[in-house]
Amino acid sequence: MKKLALGYVSCLPQTQLVTKFLEELKNERLMGTRCRKCGTKYLPPRAHCKCGSEDVEWFEASHRGKILTYTLIGFPPKSMSKHAPYVVAIAELEDGSRLLAQLTGVTLKTLRVGMPVQVASRPLSKDKIVYEFKPIEPSCGCAKRS
Amino acid sequence: MTEKVGIVGIGHAKFGKRTDVTLRELAHEAVTPALEDAELDVKDIDASVIGVASEEFAAQVSPAILVHDYVGMEDKPVFRVEAACATGSAAVRAAWALIKSGLAKVVLVVGAETMTHLGTLGATEVIARAGDTRWEYPFGVTFPGFYALMTTAHMDKYGTTREQLSMVSVKNHMYGAMNPNAHIQRKITLEEAMKSAMICSPLNLYDCCLISDGAAAVVLASEEKAKSISDTPIWLVGLGAASDTMLVSERENLTELKATKMAADRAYGMAGITAKDVDVAVVHDCFTIAEIMAYEDLGFCRKGEGGKFIEEKQSYIGGKTPTNTDGGLKSKGHPLGATGISMTIEITKQLRGEAGKRQVNGAEIGLSHNVGEAGQYCFVHVYCR
Repeated sequence: MKKLALGYVSCLPQTQLVTKFLEELKNERLMGTRCRKCGTKYLPPRAHCKCGSEDVEWFEASHRGKILTYTLIGFPPKSMSKHAPYVVAIAELEDGSRLLAQLTGVTLKTLRVGMPVQVASRPLSKDKIVYEFKPIEPSCGCAKRS
Repeated sequence: MTEKVGIVGIGHAKFGKRTDVTLRELAHEAVTPALEDAELDVKDIDASVIGVASEEFAAQVSPAILVHDYVGMEDKPVFRVEAACATGSAAVRAAWALIKSGLAKVVLVVGAETMTHLGTLGATEVIARAGDTRWEYPFGVTFPGFYALMTTAHMDKYGTTREQLSMVSVKNHMYGAMNPNAHIQRKITLEEAMKSAMICSPLNLYDCCLISDGAAAVVLASEEKAKSISDTPIWLVGLGAASDTMLVSERENLTELKATKMAADRAYGMAGITAKDVDVAVVHDCFTIAEIMAYEDLGFCRKGEGGKFIEEKQSYIGGKTPTNTDGGLKSKGHPLGATGISMTIEITKQLRGEAGKRQVNGAEIGLSHNVGEAGQYCFVHVYCR
């Protein structure tokens, strides 16, 4: 069985859609797709709309949002064991998009629903990259990166 | 559509860590008593529907024929049904449709899964891959993880407490201790449940169902056949099913399972009943929060009051809607393909008045609720005497 690992999926083909998404992510741009026919937005991106249309265009999603819910995963799937424990969260971004990712730079004590976060790119190796949530410093409100 | 479909035979293998049998032998252990219960010979069966959720768990590609052949069905029609953790209820639904269509009159439905051979970490990994493998699984979110996300949201929005979650576990272990087929037949204390090891915050070990090996089988028949086979057929009078988005992050509401609400509405509508008419229920308690959301989404109580419902013991025998009188997935175990069929068996026993110490006196209308993945699939069945 091929292993799955943090941030990427070795057993699925690297389609044009995913390649474009990851290339943009390297430049700190979080890209989704929008249906030109019905206007539905998708983040993560889809090549086809659920309405049946194949006419989708790229849009840049907001980098800022708030945590809708979270969990600290203490018992991970086998192939993720070396990363545990880690926090997984779902955030709603300012443009209304919703995304699931890991949340770093927090502890269970500082975590709360509604917490403002930013989406950041996290390079894993030379050719692998993933997005993650990071808390936005409440003191200055700026999008500080560590 | 006036012809009913009845349950005329039930058979339940012992759930647990079953290193003494293979998948086919485990299925046989359920089929034999189901045929005996119906007083039928295997040659009286027209077709079978087999529910096995995972080929990785079965260690066998296309496992349906393995089971079908082993129980002696040989040249009869067979196919496999799969809907993750709701595989068993999907199989019952498919068998109902075979009978209603006239393609068959008597159908054997078998659910079986062997999971423990992969170990807890390995089984968690396989199940986690039921999540979207491109966009959600690679962040390391497991199924306890998805339900933990719903728990955090439910606690935040409705004030559901850690204690209320554990109360579900205490109840289900209490009933599981009375069920000879349950994986863990042991009562637990509230303190024990609350202090158990954290799995995915805020869910701990006693909030999580068991990884089990198991099998269950039922025989369904057309109304005419059912009346000639059995003096006490139990009728499947409402079937509702629904689905939800593959990406959990896409859902508008993280404190409910939309598929449960829709499936329940469809099942109640077909049966011509409301939630208040349900005398006994088995619901999908893969995690304690799932049972609390099920009380709400099935309409046993108002949204947000699921925590109070268990705290007031309304889901105990004697309460408003006795729920998971067989111990639920929590104590009885959750061998994926077998679970939904095991649910049908518990309701059949309750409506026949054969549930022994766990009997809900005078139960006439029963309900089973089986969820696949994190609400991606849902099946609700309504039964009556």
